[in-house]
Amino acid sequence: MLTAFMPLFSSLANLAEQMQSCQKVTFASTPLRDFPELAEQLKHKQRCAAETLLEELMGKMAGLQRVRDTVSSSVGTVFQLYEQHADGLGLEASLQRSAVNPSLADMLEWLQDIESYYRHLYLESRLLLQIRYENLPEMQALPQAWERMLEHNRQDVVQDALLKVSFFLEAP
Amino acid sequence: MAVPKSPAGVTPRRPVLSVSARKIKDNAADWHNLMMKWETLNDNGFATANKIVNVKIATQFKDNNLEIECDSIASDSGKQLPDYNEELEQCCTQLLETLENMSKIQMKMEKLSTTTKGICDLETYNYREGASRPPLFHTWPTTYFYEVSLKLSEMYKKELQLKQVIVQEIAHTVDQDLMMVYLSAWLYQPYIENSNKLLLESMLLETGHRLL
Repeated sequence: MLTAFMPLFSSLANLAEQMQSCQKVTFASTPLRDFPELAEQLKHKQRCAAETLLEELMGKMAGLQRVRDTVSSSVGTVFQLYEQHADGLGLEASLQRSAVNPSLADMLEWLQDIESYYRHLYLESRLLLQIRYENLPEMQALPQAWERMLEHNRQDVVQDALLKVSFFLEAP
Repeated sequence: MAVPKSPAGVTPRRPVLSVSARKIKDNAADWHNLMMKWETLNDNGFATANKIVNVKIATQFKDNNLEIECDSIASDSGKQLPDYNEELEQCCTQLLETLENMSKIQMKMEKLSTTTKGICDLETYNYREGASRPPLFHTWPTTYFYEVSLKLSEMYKKELQLKQVIVQEIAHTVDQDLMMVYLSAWLYQPYIENSNKLLLESMLLETGHRLL
């Protein structure tokens, strides 16, 4: 799902580059001087293209939001279950871990890490998409910003947790 | 003239279209095909124009490097420049061909408008007594087909003029921003308004090529 964002960000950055070139060029002093309203018309078309890309990105974003919500609600259910039984279980038992079993606290922590991973990912992507046409350099830097964001929110968190779980599940 | 080929005795389910209506219906189909062809050519042309710009930028980069390096090496590396130019020339020829094909399409579009105008004139002649004119298909008065044809035709005409300038100039500018503007203008076709698809589709709908 995340890989689908990059081509869209690249296209948007490319478009921003074109828009910026249009701003830099004085149409009246180029061979295009005889075309009335060309700058305006072209700008309009470029904006339309950008809006289409943004719409697609928003669609992807909705997908990301669904993932976040699903994860949140599942984790929420687990925590609710824990809280219901926490008193009966006691702190000691929750913290107890052995060579073949992680402690309950460990597992809850993994879940929380996963949840916060998706929450951050969604929030930061959402912020990236606060695009203003006045800030074309920022739009051009979108692919890099996206990569930095992915690097910063490492997906390993989820994979690591899954690996640990599958390891313990396999253990006799 | 085409004679209905349905075997004798079989009654056609729909009333046979009048000659004018059939002509307009064919025109609508032609519009569709020409616009599709234009889009394909536009994509091909963009790919070629993009290549031209890349070659130009690469050559410019090389030239700049040459200036920095000492002159003695410049004479050696100078031999490689014709390769670049050859590629550039190939691309330019290709782009010219594309433009040529686009201009043929534009001419056909203009002809479509003229035929539609002719049909309108004929209708005006036939109904000169002031009788009410029934629409040829569903609701459109015949003149409306001409208006739409003319509007579309004008868009493509203007766009072709722009493309002619782009083809002439794209390989002769050193300003990278201007190159970018040329590319962008080629791709996004500023004079072809987004309404063109709507106009075409409504024409196809009215003539019965598209069903509701």
